Amino acid sequence: MSRALGTRVFARRFGATAGLLLLCALLWILTPYFLTVANLLNVMEQTAINAVVAVGMTYVIISGGIDLSVGSLLAISGVVLARALKAEWPVPIAAVGAIGVGWLLGLANGVGIALGRLPPFIMTLGMMSVARGAALLATDGRPISGFDAAFRALATGHVAGVPAPIVLTLLIYLLSYLVLSGTRFGRYVYGIGGNEEATRLSGVPVRFHKTMVYGVSGAAAAVASILLTARLNTAQPIAGTNYELDAIAATVIGGTSLSGGEGSLAGTLIGALTMGVLRNGLNLLGVSSFLQQLVIGVVIIMAVLVDRLLKEKRA
Amino acid sequence: MRRTVVAIVCLVIACGCNRGGSATGSATSRPRIALVLKTLNNPFFNDMQRGAQQAADRLGVELVVQAAERETDVERQMQIVENLIQSGVQALALTPSGSKEVVPAVVKANRASIPVVIVDTRLDTGAAAEAGVKTASFIGSDNYEGGRTAARFVVDESKGTANVAILEGIPGHETGDSRMRGFKDGIAASPGVRIVASQTANWERDQGFNVFQNMLQAHPEIDTVFACNDMMALGAIEAIRAAGQAGKIRVVGFDAVDDARKAIREGTMAASVAQFPDEMGRIAIENAVKTLRGEAVQPDVKVRIELVNKGEK
Repeated sequence: MSRALGTRVFARRFGATAGLLLLCALLWILTPYFLTVANLLNVMEQTAINAVVAVGMTYVIISGGIDLSVGSLLAISGVVLARALKAEWPVPIAAVGAIGVGWLLGLANGVGIALGRLPPFIMTLGMMSVARGAALLATDGRPISGFDAAFRALATGHVAGVPAPIVLTLLIYLLSYLVLSGTRFGRYVYGIGGNEEATRLSGVPVRFHKTMVYGVSGAAAAVASILLTARLNTAQPIAGTNYELDAIAATVIGGTSLSGGEGSLAGTLIGALTMGVLRNGLNLLGVSSFLQQLVIGVVIIMAVLVDRLLKEKRA
Repeated sequence: MRRTVVAIVCLVIACGCNRGGSATGSATSRPRIALVLKTLNNPFFNDMQRGAQQAADRLGVELVVQAAERETDVERQMQIVENLIQSGVQALALTPSGSKEVVPAVVKANRASIPVVIVDTRLDTGAAAEAGVKTASFIGSDNYEGGRTAARFVVDESKGTANVAILEGIPGHETGDSRMRGFKDGIAASPGVRIVASQTANWERDQGFNVFQNMLQAHPEIDTVFACNDMMALGAIEAIRAAGQAGKIRVVGFDAVDDARKAIREGTMAASVAQFPDEMGRIAIENAVKTLRGEAVQPDVKVRIELVNKGEK
């Protein structure tokens, strides 16, 4: 049983990695501009925001849920961050404030789902609108821009030659990986997604942990808002529109099962990179913008389909 | 299975090695210029693309056109600019999705020594100055003057008494703000022309419908609509029809897109301010090419605007 599960997980992750490598190889053949250090760093930098949002999405989807509110939570956290920075709060405190807001709104999602027994789809759909409305109200619809170089360094700085957003993203992945695979909370997330009833009967406080999962998702969206605000030197109330779809796509391309109980952060990172590489490659090739959308859709479907076939073959 | 995949990967890599040498040498000697639009699902930008393409063909340059899926997706637009920088374009013509947000992207182009021509929407002067960005040229309609033109039309047609509703663009967008400022300044000297309601419909047709329907509920005295673009004006026209007031409310739009011209011919729309996006596209490419050749270009090009109403077109 555990061996079968092991190979299955391996097949899933391996499928995604092979797909990414194949894509890279293809682009290397098609354009001389793809496989350069500058471009690869460029892709990773562009992937950072989606990758960070997708961390939270991975937790949520493994737990058997879905979070449609991440884009809006990103926007409201960004607005809070921008306001705090404009009020001359030190960067770390402003950042913690923004993450706190994302976390609390995420917890609100969790409370509605775990205690109110609302379907995650409905609760987070509602929150998507609530948080977006709040962000628009708070800013009167206008972007807030112009921050100190100390803050912008989060996007423009380098650590040992590597752009700061990449370093931060990798640190976030490392931390989230340790939590998901090394803590009791992490095990419960898988348990709840795999079989909620059994998990509850074995004495796990399911509702508490479920609530925390959405808190993680909100906090991840808020961290992404910090990266985005630094990158554009602007916080926009309409930021993050449709980001939930990108995050879900990255998660499922990475082999996390929408039915819960199964998945990995490593897979999600590969999934986010796949989408980043694809968009980058299509730009480099000068492919028409309309065709790009079509191609991306096909790749998402193919990735999950191949994944499913591999999985069935092994099982 | 695993072995097959590995084999395919090896094969592809082998192909890559073969192609590697020729790929770098295959770049054409014609200069490559990129035009980054806000979106391609808007006739305005399609016209701009056409004008740019004609200029590129005439001048013998290769034109790459890219756009984000959504008009307001500044992050995606920034990615496109970064990717084009990597792909070695020699000059960049850009229609900013956000006046402030796009500044970091222009900084990156500057750093890569790629000359930048801004089209249609001006960069925010404060943000641009603070970041120290350099642009070769700006090409756009005089939106402020367009707003004044629309106001003059309303004042003349209404003989100086009107209750006006304004449908604004997305707040904080320079284009819509200038049009509205021009309109307000244009009616300032006519105290009988009053603004009774002013709200955003985010440039969109369906929102224009809903927002105007609500306005009409709250202010039945409205007899004139100024919409900062035609999409919202066309939405308002549907709302007017639904309210059974067709022909009783004067609708003035902006852009003179095909649907708006049709509505003007049919009499459901009073007028629209025409811009000439194809000229913008043409001049953008011409100026980009001149900059590449080291020739001087006009830093601020104002493309003509024109009021279209039933009598004239």
